[in-house]
Amino acid sequence: MNREQLFSVANDWFENQGWKPFPFQTQAWTAFLQGKNGLLNAPTGSGKTYALWLPIVLNYIKNNPDYKTKHKPGLKAIWITPLRSLSVEIKQAAERVVNDLETQMTVGIRSGDTSASERVKQKGKMPDLLVTTPESLQLLLATKGYDKIFGNCTAIVIDEWHELLGTKRGVQTELALSRLKTIAPKMRIWGISATIGNLQQAQEVLLGVDSEAYNNSVLIKAQIHKKIKVISIIPDKMETYPWRGHMGLHLIDEVAKIIKASKTTLIFTNVRSACEIWFQRLLEKYPEFAGEMAMHHGSINRETRLWVEQAIRDEELKVVVCTSSLDLGVDFAPVETIIQVGGPKGVARFLQRAGRSGHQPGKESVIYFLATHAIELIEASALKKAVENNVIEDRVPYLNSWDVLVQYLNTLAVSDGFLPDEIFKEVKGTFCYQAITEENWNWILNFISNGSQSLQAYDEYKKVEIEEDGRFKINSRLIAMHHRMQIGTIVGDAVVNVKFMSGGYIGTIEEWFVSKLKPGDTFIFAGKQLELFRIRNMQVLVRKANPKKKSKVVSWMGGRMALSAQMSELLRHELYRANTDDLSPELKALQPLFARQRKESIVPGDDQFLIETFKTREGYHAIFYPFEGRFVHEALASLLAYRISLLLPISFSLAYNDYGFELLSDQEIDMQNVLDNNLFSTEYVHHDLQKSLNATEMARRKFRDIAVIAGLVFTGFPGKMVKTKHLQSGSQLLFEVFRDYEPDNLLFQQAYRETFEHQLEEGRLIMALERINNQEIIWKPCLKPTPFSFPLITDRLREKLSSETLAERIKKMTASYMK
Amino acid sequence: MTITIQNQTFILHPSGALFWKTRKLLLISDVHLGKVSHFRKHGVAIPNNVVSENFKRLTEIVENFKPEKIIFLGDLFHSSKNKEWDLFEKWVECCTNTIILISGNHDIIDKKHYNQLDIDVLESLEIDSFLLTHHPTIKEGFFNFSGHIHPGIMLRGSGAQSLKLPCFFQKENQMILAAFGEFTGKHILKPQQNDIVYAIANDEVIKIKLN
Repeated sequence: MNREQLFSVANDWFENQGWKPFPFQTQAWTAFLQGKNGLLNAPTGSGKTYALWLPIVLNYIKNNPDYKTKHKPGLKAIWITPLRSLSVEIKQAAERVVNDLETQMTVGIRSGDTSASERVKQKGKMPDLLVTTPESLQLLLATKGYDKIFGNCTAIVIDEWHELLGTKRGVQTELALSRLKTIAPKMRIWGISATIGNLQQAQEVLLGVDSEAYNNSVLIKAQIHKKIKVISIIPDKMETYPWRGHMGLHLIDEVAKIIKASKTTLIFTNVRSACEIWFQRLLEKYPEFAGEMAMHHGSINRETRLWVEQAIRDEELKVVVCTSSLDLGVDFAPVETIIQVGGPKGVARFLQRAGRSGHQPGKESVIYFLATHAIELIEASALKKAVENNVIEDRVPYLNSWDVLVQYLNTLAVSDGFLPDEIFKEVKGTFCYQAITEENWNWILNFISNGSQSLQAYDEYKKVEIEEDGRFKINSRLIAMHHRMQIGTIVGDAVVNVKFMSGGYIGTIEEWFVSKLKPGDTFIFAGKQLELFRIRNMQVLVRKANPKKKSKVVSWMGGRMALSAQMSELLRHELYRANTDDLSPELKALQPLFARQRKESIVPGDDQFLIETFKTREGYHAIFYPFEGRFVHEALASLLAYRISLLLPISFSLAYNDYGFELLSDQEIDMQNVLDNNLFSTEYVHHDLQKSLNATEMARRKFRDIAVIAGLVFTGFPGKMVKTKHLQSGSQLLFEVFRDYEPDNLLFQQAYRETFEHQLEEGRLIMALERINNQEIIWKPCLKPTPFSFPLITDRLREKLSSETLAERIKKMTASYMK
Repeated sequence: MTITIQNQTFILHPSGALFWKTRKLLLISDVHLGKVSHFRKHGVAIPNNVVSENFKRLTEIVENFKPEKIIFLGDLFHSSKNKEWDLFEKWVECCTNTIILISGNHDIIDKKHYNQLDIDVLESLEIDSFLLTHHPTIKEGFFNFSGHIHPGIMLRGSGAQSLKLPCFFQKENQMILAAFGEFTGKHILKPQQNDIVYAIANDEVIKIKLN
């Protein structure tokens, strides 16, 4: 068949569905059939799946004219999705095409949920089209004879590429693609991405810097514009609005009104514990929602989640309280209204959520913003501006992630082994490792084969062995098994399964939370009140609790999100407007708070940098307000604390949020001295930060993930008992050992580099300092805490920095005994 | 830090070792030799110079106190025999003192290997009214020295300061030694009103105020 004939097959099929192809879909078909690679920029729910499934099938038809009678076995295309819960929908979409076109093609799923027997069956006979996850793709690379599986594959599609880009799962995908390019030379590589600031770069990361694949690629944009309306939930009486963030529950009645007025509402919270609490409170206060209300987050068992998703589609639910677990994927046409609880911290995330509603053509999406504390209302005002001006953040890709490379090389060593020269070329062709040197490479090879850079006589290190033909290979079955269990780059806190004694799996909670419970304690999880019966073999057995008993709500660790650079800038501009007459409804509502703030201090304008100092029972507080987002404040706080600590022996505890940071000490800080010594200078920033980091703990935390990914910490199967207890050690301990004994270790150094590039965002920090240096510094000694300072001084998650000796510090401290 | 228990003098050393001055006995607990090699043998690349550091510290502490006897309070070796045993043999040869091992839960290496090095392996040892064990043990009429726990303490101060340090942990009739070995970790204990905690702060041992 020629292209025209193929296109008429596709058009006919669309017509039979009652659809008309969008231009971006036909553009994708054409490019694909021309043998091009590409990146498709299309939002969820736009028909992006058919933009690529169709040409994949058409291409098969083209190459196999007798496709209706003769089936050619073997894997033809791979569809990678970051969320395995989406794989069923994607499979169904593919099946619709292959069945309607009578191709005899098969579609299969391979993910963490696929049974062992199914996986063995697939290995014998691969489906024609495979839907899988980045991790399961790596596991396929860890299979003996994997090159034969992929040999005739014609396409790989990376769905939701924007979600992977800027994460180590993205790096993992880059590496897998670098290998597939060699073993499956006919393969086209396609990515699908929502709108992000750096689409061009996303395309380059996907295909490789200046690679053949990149040079033969296209960027296709689906021009779908959607109207989005943002409404802040503002109570009539602002006096009762809390100064510090909590859950936003004071607005529960307003929320209930919105729910009642709408067909289906999704309430997005930023963290799982907030999701649990909102669900619980809504149910307590509005029992009439029972039966029409559900909860959805990542720790609830899969069956329940799938049920909830289906129930939304079937219009059986009035309201669902959820987290980012419902950000991605399938469409929920009946959803009319979205409520965002707390600042979403990024424009892209906010838009994604807003897009969850109003799917009928021409209808606008409505999203309500619920600020959990007063100052967050400024964020709402800023978000409106962002939506108006179409501001979208970048996703910054990782560079030189040695931990992921170590894991990948071990993966190749587990399957057929690898020849370093061949693999080096492939690795260097990726975006992540474009700057890798021979020296780095040799270091990595030594690390996986000797466990160090020099051989020592008594050493018994054993992992990757070098065969006679120069192949790097893992021969120990035990080590190979450990490695396969550990493949992946998502590092979470250790989790345990929660089950009813009578049977029935509820979900997972983190180990540290369980460790605080004893049998008989009750807790709320997945919307249920549960009593702990016992903990055994990494399983928490529970039964229904007496509803009258007081219960804790399960909480999860998990990083706090920070305002993006774009959001911070918008936020500052909104705040500066507070001193003008040009007030948004949010700023108007905040007038009583601004009045309180002005009584004790000021609301800074765009040429002012505000510092407040005051004393409380806890010590001497110094609060700084750069309004640059949490990560930059973390860096600024460390930097400034370090520079002050050079002037005199002093210990600090640091707190930061998206608006400012606090240095708390038991001594009074001489602020005039700080200003006179020009401590906001941009000189020696890197040096000072590095020094201050030694004292703080950021790199240590980064190292945790690195150690797990590189296989230095053995975690075993999630939720399953680790039988190799004698091989367990905390990453904290490892960090100290590396610091003291092998500080030039690349993995150890990576922890610092990641801290600078991804956590502290050094570039943004310097820009912030330059801005501060051009502002007038206003130092306000206050008598008591101001409204702006309140969320900061009540934050309990703190870093420490000290220039006093350990002995001096101990003298001022005590241990409390059990009372 | 010098302390007195039942009219006997003891020195708490920042390495985690305890020297019974009156009797010239050196008590050392939880060295976990072979742990690093054990990890490396299973493909976990812990820096291998930690191994020599453990032996260096053992030599230093013995030279410092010149004890008549060295008593290890258990968990001398982390797991089964590996090449670190050869290093241990060499160390024992150079060391002229009598060595006794009170065996701990990690000590799974056969007694006979220790006996070949003239090291006695015991379940526990009584010296006057002092009882030496690996696990903390209460026995009527005895003061117990033990290890096993790897005790640590959490300190708090004004300005929201906090610190976690390894420590010696003393109860009414009991002293739990800090772990001697590198790469062994610590377990934070919460004291009771009459407990005494001696924290290790780099090269000092400091008595902690309780409140």
